[in-house]
Amino acid sequence: MAPVLPYRRTRAAVTNFEDLLRPHVEYLYQLAWRFSGSVADAEDLIQDLLVKLYPRTRELLDIELLRPWLARVLYHQYVDSVRQRTRSPIVKLVGGAEDDDDPLDTFPSMTDGPEAQAERHSLRERLLDALSRLNPEQRAVVTMHDVEGYSLEELESILETPVGTLKSRLHRARQRLRELLPMEPLSVGERVVSA
Amino acid sequence: MQCSAFSSQLDDYLDGRLGNTQQRLIEGHLEHCQGCRNLHRHSVALQRALTALSAPMPHPGFVEQALSRATRPEAGAAWFRGRPLVSLALAATVMLGVAVGLFFAWQPVSAPVQSVTLTLQRPETVRVVFNSAKPLKGATLSLGLPENVELVGYGDRRELSWKTDLQQGGNLLQLPLVVRGPARDDLVANLSHGGSTKIFRLRIEVKNAGNTGM
Repeated sequence: MAPVLPYRRTRAAVTNFEDLLRPHVEYLYQLAWRFSGSVADAEDLIQDLLVKLYPRTRELLDIELLRPWLARVLYHQYVDSVRQRTRSPIVKLVGGAEDDDDPLDTFPSMTDGPEAQAERHSLRERLLDALSRLNPEQRAVVTMHDVEGYSLEELESILETPVGTLKSRLHRARQRLRELLPMEPLSVGERVVSA
Repeated sequence: MQCSAFSSQLDDYLDGRLGNTQQRLIEGHLEHCQGCRNLHRHSVALQRALTALSAPMPHPGFVEQALSRATRPEAGAAWFRGRPLVSLALAATVMLGVAVGLFFAWQPVSAPVQSVTLTLQRPETVRVVFNSAKPLKGATLSLGLPENVELVGYGDRRELSWKTDLQQGGNLLQLPLVVRGPARDDLVANLSHGGSTKIFRLRIEVKNAGNTGM
């Protein structure tokens, strides 16, 4: 049997890795933000993901559909990071401070008036707050199905979870979101979006 | 069709996963049941709002930096330490410098109790910096949250405690907080190491969300 050799950090290896991953990093970052709801956490998730994947460059070269595969690895990493935090209550103490962007301050550019902006702002905050109250599996399935548009069959393969389980998670997540978000602000959002 | 059957099939209906017959049954029920019509309207509005929830792009340079760090292990390991200092001008973020005494180099604190102002129902990150004169292994940091103040992701838990290492110099503690109502007491952070303890208090002022309609 051929020995398993470590992947050497050669110029070719670096180029392969960066060329392979570069087209996907923005997508993964946005997915990580949707999972975590935080710019800092999204950055950490992506950085950790890339650090872990670099030694696996050879394996990545053989993957036909890299994006869904990367989404799966990111999902597992997100769930693991939430579990880890839950076990040893949160907060990391790190030297130096953090380059911040509060996700709630990062709004898409708007062309409507101040009143509509305020309403949209409020709805966005409420949505993010409600999403943060879902468990990581529920949040992931809502994000990937309702926001990213993956079908349940695609998610069965990406999240390695049977369709029945995904349907039930999605059902509970939507139910919880409806409880947390009464109709009124949502209908305001509809009005703002359609204005 | 009964309302319970409608409710159990609503997701499949919204996702276009029902056959023609079931779809007609659902639509027939919607025509004469006000309660289920409301539930349907609520669900559609929620889905639209989720679809419209845009995610931010990474900051310029992040992709190249992250790729570069990944291929240079030493840079990746230094990722957390290498972040630039935060600006005090950042909205929705409070930078609170606290000099830790006792087993740390004592530096006078300008006020006995520091305070931050948070907006009702709005998740905001409060940052507390502990300055330590020397590295400390296995310090215990405990947090006591006042009523109506939640640590995001921890629901109603009022007491949290964990072991952590402090490095020499600045150590950042990030607290994603949400205020649900008036906070009558202070948030208390208790830092202990080798039998010594230092208690910090953070007063939380609450302001209403103003035009958020709350």
